[in-house]
Amino acid sequence: MIAVRAPEDRSLASPLGRISPVAKLVLVAAWVAGLALTTDPRPPLVLGAIGLAAAVVLGRVRPASLAVALAPLAFATLTVGFFNALLNPANGNPALAVVASLGPIRLTAPAVVAGVALACRVGAVAALGIAFALTTDTTRLVDALVQQARVPERFAYGALAAFQAVPRLAEDLVALREARRIRGLRASWHPRMLVGLLVLAIRRADRLAVAMDARGFGSGPRTRFRVERWSLPDAAFLGAGSVVLVAAMVFGR
Amino acid sequence: MAISADAPAVALPDPRWRTRDILVTAVLGVAFGVVFWFWNNLAWSFLAPLGPFQNLFYAVWLIPAVLAPLIVRKPGAALFAELLAAGVSVIAGSPWSLDVLLSGFVQGAAAELVFAFSLYRAWGLPVLAIAALASATAAWIHDWVIYYPTVAVETQLLVGAAMGVSALVIVGFGSLMLARALRRAGVLEGFPR
Repeated sequence: MIAVRAPEDRSLASPLGRISPVAKLVLVAAWVAGLALTTDPRPPLVLGAIGLAAAVVLGRVRPASLAVALAPLAFATLTVGFFNALLNPANGNPALAVVASLGPIRLTAPAVVAGVALACRVGAVAALGIAFALTTDTTRLVDALVQQARVPERFAYGALAAFQAVPRLAEDLVALREARRIRGLRASWHPRMLVGLLVLAIRRADRLAVAMDARGFGSGPRTRFRVERWSLPDAAFLGAGSVVLVAAMVFGR
Repeated sequence: MAISADAPAVALPDPRWRTRDILVTAVLGVAFGVVFWFWNNLAWSFLAPLGPFQNLFYAVWLIPAVLAPLIVRKPGAALFAELLAAGVSVIAGSPWSLDVLLSGFVQGAAAELVFAFSLYRAWGLPVLAIAALASATAAWIHDWVIYYPTVAVETQLLVGAAMGVSALVIVGFGSLMLARALRRAGVLEGFPR
């Protein structure tokens, strides 16, 4: 019901899956920042395509799972593009050629171009996020964030413990809906269910906190079970990714 | 006049995080990450025909930045909850992808700043409303720059106003109601009130 897409084992064992999650995060952030600086449609098309190709070839993600992950994002991409085109101030300029019009609403050529460029940007950013999520294990991400990015460990592992309770959240939702049905309430959805969901979630957080405190969570220096170290492939990945970013930005000038 | 070292001028609430504070904030962040996932992928697209007035429903994305600090009352709770909620929605699959982390950061940081100015001591509706408005303002500027840079200024002002109203009603008033309901349910025993 709540679809947290778990990456497949073959993707986690792939060359892209073995790269440090922090290195991937840094590179994707740099690419997204680069995309935010350009309004040309070409860099997002290039970077988005390279990101997806890397996920399939280097990350061994099945094209079918990639398509399933991307489908819901297509609509949002189109929405952003459409509204940027529709609400562009160029539409009010009577000197510009009209591409389409409906009553008082005009759509001019520059507005359409701007809308397409922004749709490309949003689509590329979404594709990069999917490529990251489908090749990265959440536990390893948190290990790497703590060990390589020096994120405070109590908060990072506390967040991980809470995140791993997401399937419980889905069970709670089912239980709450059944409870409503038993009480003879027709609609199986109601905003009040949010309160019930949060009550159950906070109770679970309390139990988790007691269990973690009982095991000495955060009470002293922490030893590492899974050690994350920077490796040569990480450096190669970051180097190659930076070159691609610069090339795509220059290409889009 | 000498101020003695053992009597601070203002008594600040204990800023240390218990494990329980961390877990409750994290669980709120994760739960709202799932809400964000729903909002990102389903609800928001259905609201698209409303045009700029779609933003009257924007503030659902800002709730953890006010609700979590209102419950645990620790420095950093706004930022932690909002960033975690954003992160969870990215992992679950979001059309806005990693940019959501930037959104979450600016939204959480803006609310955090307001709570920091109140020295984490005032938790009435006025402070919550100001924090909600600050968070919405940060989100508005971010979205203008990243997603709608070509949209006309008049439309942007309309969008900003809609987001402000949304923040006041959904975040300011809404999180107060949610916290009250949770307190009545008895799950907030041991948290300051």
